Amino acid sequence: MKVPSLPPVSRFTWGPLVLVLMLVLGEPARALASPLVVEAALDRDVVAPLLEAFQANHPDIDLDFRDRSTLEVDDLVVQGDPAPDVVISSAMPWQMARVNEGYALPLDSPQSRNWPAWAKWRDEVFGFTFEPIVMAYRLDLTKHMMPPRTHADLHTLLTTQHDLLQQKVTTYSPLTSGIGYTLFQQDARYSLRFWDLVAGMGRVDAQLEDNTRAMLEGISEGRYWLGYNLLGSYAMVWAQDHPEVIVQLPQDYSLVMMRMAFVHRAAPNPDAAKVFVNFLLSREGQRVLAGQTPLFSVLPGIIGPYTAQRLRDQVGERIYPIPLNASLLAFVDPQRRSAFLARWRREFRRELRLDD
Amino acid sequence: MIEVTGSLKRQLAVWLLVTVTGLGALLMVEAWRSTHRAAERAFDSQLEAAAMTIAEAVQWEEGEPVVEVPAAALQILATRHQERVFYSVLDTSGEPVSANMPFSIAPGWREQVTNEPWAVTATLDDTSWRFYGREYDSAGWISQEPVQIWVGHTREGRKALADELFERSVSHFVAMVLLAGTLMVMTMRVALAPMRRLRHLLRRREADDMRPLDARVPEEMRELANTLDHLFDRQRQSRESLLRFTADASHQLKTPLAGLQSTSELALQSSDPAQWHAALATVHDGAERTSRLAGQLLSLVRLRHIGGEGIATPLDMNGVLRETLLDWAGSEAAREHDLGLAELPSGPVWVRAEKWAIRELLGNLIDNALRYTPPGSEITLGLERHDDETVLFVEDNGPGVADETRDRLLQPFERGGRQGTDGSGLGLAIVDSIAQRCGARLTLESLKPHGLVVKLHLPLCENEGTP
Repeated sequence: MKVPSLPPVSRFTWGPLVLVLMLVLGEPARALASPLVVEAALDRDVVAPLLEAFQANHPDIDLDFRDRSTLEVDDLVVQGDPAPDVVISSAMPWQMARVNEGYALPLDSPQSRNWPAWAKWRDEVFGFTFEPIVMAYRLDLTKHMMPPRTHADLHTLLTTQHDLLQQKVTTYSPLTSGIGYTLFQQDARYSLRFWDLVAGMGRVDAQLEDNTRAMLEGISEGRYWLGYNLLGSYAMVWAQDHPEVIVQLPQDYSLVMMRMAFVHRAAPNPDAAKVFVNFLLSREGQRVLAGQTPLFSVLPGIIGPYTAQRLRDQVGERIYPIPLNASLLAFVDPQRRSAFLARWRREFRRELRLDD
Repeated sequence: MIEVTGSLKRQLAVWLLVTVTGLGALLMVEAWRSTHRAAERAFDSQLEAAAMTIAEAVQWEEGEPVVEVPAAALQILATRHQERVFYSVLDTSGEPVSANMPFSIAPGWREQVTNEPWAVTATLDDTSWRFYGREYDSAGWISQEPVQIWVGHTREGRKALADELFERSVSHFVAMVLLAGTLMVMTMRVALAPMRRLRHLLRRREADDMRPLDARVPEEMRELANTLDHLFDRQRQSRESLLRFTADASHQLKTPLAGLQSTSELALQSSDPAQWHAALATVHDGAERTSRLAGQLLSLVRLRHIGGEGIATPLDMNGVLRETLLDWAGSEAAREHDLGLAELPSGPVWVRAEKWAIRELLGNLIDNALRYTPPGSEITLGLERHDDETVLFVEDNGPGVADETRDRLLQPFERGGRQGTDGSGLGLAIVDSIAQRCGARLTLESLKPHGLVVKLHLPLCENEGTP
């Protein structure tokens, strides 16, 4: 293709101007010097194959993947100095709120255009994994009772077997975990009986953990028999090495959580950051996700053990991804959050109060 | 000469283009404004709906307003264009009860919505926002204070919708213009078809075909067709008169030539020199008459068919009249007549004409009068001056001409029913041609008790230049 040459005048005037801008902003120097910083609420062990594949594809980019908690990641979006290049988090409402506040850079690429509309917002933030929310139980449980297969089963167990299950049930703490809070909010949206479930958990004095790993460890160690609302991605990997842990996809409805990734507006390396996110969304990246990590690929047509399609085949159409849209913003509304937490506390202690 | 002054099609196209451009510019401005208005209205109603939904969720707890922002309100606010959304629920003092808005609502804005809902466009953080605020009366058990609900979103959807609507109206307009252009071209074809038919008809016509047109034409072209028919008719007439003239002239020349031939034949058979002399005299007379006839024919043809622009100069008719009379008074032909001059107007009478033409005209009139009146008749030349014309007249008290033949006198070879005289019958035809050439009018009137007067009405002119 022939590029029309600029008239000499504009060449003459633009050159120095661009140079001055480059000097003032100091962008190129930093782009070369600093590594691509990815702040992620995503276990490094789990995502390692993906990172390796990226490094293999882009050896010129020096990747600095920092694995943090969702809360830390969210703080860094606002306070990071320099700002991170790419932000990945499973705390969907918080990610959404940051994007709504304008912290994200739009991504216009074949990969972003090809991405399913239900898994992206404003072409700025992309849900690139498809992680089912599961129940997990210890094999010992089966000696005493039928393991739960649905939310109703779980409620029944909590009511009928509350003596046996005393302190043997674990779940997320909605107060300290963003994911836990989000999942309970979503549960509450689907059914009012969720609050009975919370009351049941309170009755058996369920232990509240901050993350899935702690719950899995507790189950493996025998401290817990039953876990509710675990990240399926972690639980499935764990179960492969720990035969005493059984992972159960709820058969009535399965929530699905998506990790959301966006390029920070103030990214020091915006180009490299876009390359990274594009890789996450590319068929190649998704193939690694589907084949070598339990994060599940979102893209249809990707073949591997971990794909949204296979999950659908297993559970049927009872898969309920947490919608990636503006309604998530309601979850982070302070009044709504405090009202929800207040009710959670109240319901959790309902039985105790009655006992008093 | 045919001068081509541009093509009709091009003129129409330019005209259409100019109209369409002017009209189009106006339409585009109007379309742009109305599409933007429509987009604003459509999206403002979303803001309104979102604010209503939030208002529904406002409740009072222990004297404080509490709101659990409904997820649906945010969905409505975000629209399908996935706008960035902000909301803010303010208590009476303007303190946010619940908000995700990084901006605080200005006191001026708060006042604005106390009475009725209000929408405003503002640019904050380099982004264009649309805000909508309304006050909501909500009563609690302890306090009854209004709360204000403010919602806002980015304007990308509005722009997209306005662009889409605008694009649609532009494409409609362009399609309309193209259609109009095509229709124009087709209309031109249809409209010009009769013209083309006429052209083919004329092109196919034989050169000497002077019949009226046989063509179907629309109303608008009737005049053209009629004019063409008239033209053909006039051509046919002029052609016929030319043919008749030629036939007449040949006939006129044939008679004296036949006389010459028979006289000379008779003389050749005789051996008497006296008869030869008599025959020669007859031949001489005949030749002279024939020669004069040929001369007159020539000058008539010249006047009628050759024409040519002469140089007309101001001419004093008094002088010309006197000169001509003097020339004729002494001639052989006028010996037996009383040739005189009526009283002339005092001072010169100026007309614009060629001197030779006036003299030729006068000569012919005098010659005619001499020829067609019996010896002893009076022939009077005169001049009258009127307001803007002068009348030159030649009158005689000869036998005159019958009224019914008088009009034919101006035709060539017409002798007023007296074919016996030796005149050629061309005199008055020549006079008429000269009169036409000078822009004069010729009238013939009978005199009482008998006689004829020929009047030439000439326009007067100012004498400029030579006195």
